[in-house]
Amino acid sequence: MSNSWWEIKIDCVPDLEENIFWRLSEFGCKGMSTQKQGKEITISAYIPQTQVKLLEISDLSLQLEDDANEIGSPLPVTKCNLIDEEDWSSSWKQHWQPQPIGDRLLINPAWLEVPTDPDRTILQLDPGVAFGTGTHATTQLCLEALEMRLQPGNGLTIADIGCGSGILSTAAFLLGAKQIYAVDNDPLAVKATGENRDLNGIPAANLIVELGSIDRLQAMLPEPVDGFVCNILADVIVQLAPSMSALVKPKGWAILSGILSSQVADVSHVLEQHGWTVGTVWNRLEWSCINLKYK
Amino acid sequence: MAKKVVAIVKLALNAGKANPAPPVGPALGQHGVNIMAFCKEYNAKTAEQTGTVIPVEISIFEDRSFTFVLKTPPASVLIKKAAKIETGSNEPNKKKVGQITTAQLQEIAQIKLPDLNANDIDAAMKIVAGTARNMGVAIVD
Repeated sequence: MSNSWWEIKIDCVPDLEENIFWRLSEFGCKGMSTQKQGKEITISAYIPQTQVKLLEISDLSLQLEDDANEIGSPLPVTKCNLIDEEDWSSSWKQHWQPQPIGDRLLINPAWLEVPTDPDRTILQLDPGVAFGTGTHATTQLCLEALEMRLQPGNGLTIADIGCGSGILSTAAFLLGAKQIYAVDNDPLAVKATGENRDLNGIPAANLIVELGSIDRLQAMLPEPVDGFVCNILADVIVQLAPSMSALVKPKGWAILSGILSSQVADVSHVLEQHGWTVGTVWNRLEWSCINLKYK
Repeated sequence: MAKKVVAIVKLALNAGKANPAPPVGPALGQHGVNIMAFCKEYNAKTAEQTGTVIPVEISIFEDRSFTFVLKTPPASVLIKKAAKIETGSNEPNKKKVGQITTAQLQEIAQIKLPDLNANDIDAAMKIVAGTARNMGVAIVD
């Protein structure tokens, strides 16, 4: 199925957006997209090449100018060009490639063949809407910190607060954790974590994920865990700090990220007040990951 | 997780009918967004409003994950509904195809206010009135 589309792009002031939507829908465009460009917006709309002629797009352009005059707005600028149809349902995947992280992990998009890299543990990930795709500095720092904490056979139990796509929980199991408890207050994240767990062949009993926050997590734990990871936001971490110590065994550990480097001092201060000791702070770009031990 | 928003894309789509064809594919594909995941979620959240246009504002993050919020229907859709018309006028200055009252105009402006480039109801009414005029819909008291 080969087809071409007219891509009609209109630069205008935001006041005209509603009116232009009207004109475009009357013209036959099924939907439109808008992106801000400074104080102006660019509206994009598409129509099959076979459906209209270039002259008709010129008429549309004049109509839009008349409308702007009527409303008393600056004139919009309309451009158009032909684009080839592609399989948009899969073309976005070209932006994703296997990504080595730390010394032991390789994040592999689920639709790609599993690489035969004997030196790395393969984590299959289907990036949906949930946070945590392995391309963000905070996710990478947490994965590297987990890699440092976990070894095959050491049988640790860990928790994951704000699990997103489940990338950290899944990685924890693949790196050697025996049991993981994960929570997120977004139902889509809970779903994504379950799907990525299954994608990696992890038994559901070994990676339990539920909807909720730290309260729910505490209720899920049969006993305190060896350590936990929490990659959310500095503000949220500070709010959760008083409840964190109850999660871990004596001398338990925590990996916290989603923290801007400028926020490390404040977050560390709060955590130290609740019995935690900052071990190391790892930085990447403007982000930090704090590794802590409980007294 | 805290992440930078790299793009905000607004799409005006038929509720419950999003698919990878334009405008969704070209708008989101260039940012590496999982298009099918978006369509699935959008359709699920708008399934009960099928038959109308529900714009959606998508925030795309550095790691290509995204969130979205649904917006109010376009003013032209609300105007058509209020005026009980199917389509607008080709010659709005000469041929009127319907009318709405000032009260209806205000009601539409109130619905649209959060999503318009307007600080108050008067500014919102001005924008909606402009769209109505260009559609060939008269505003009467």
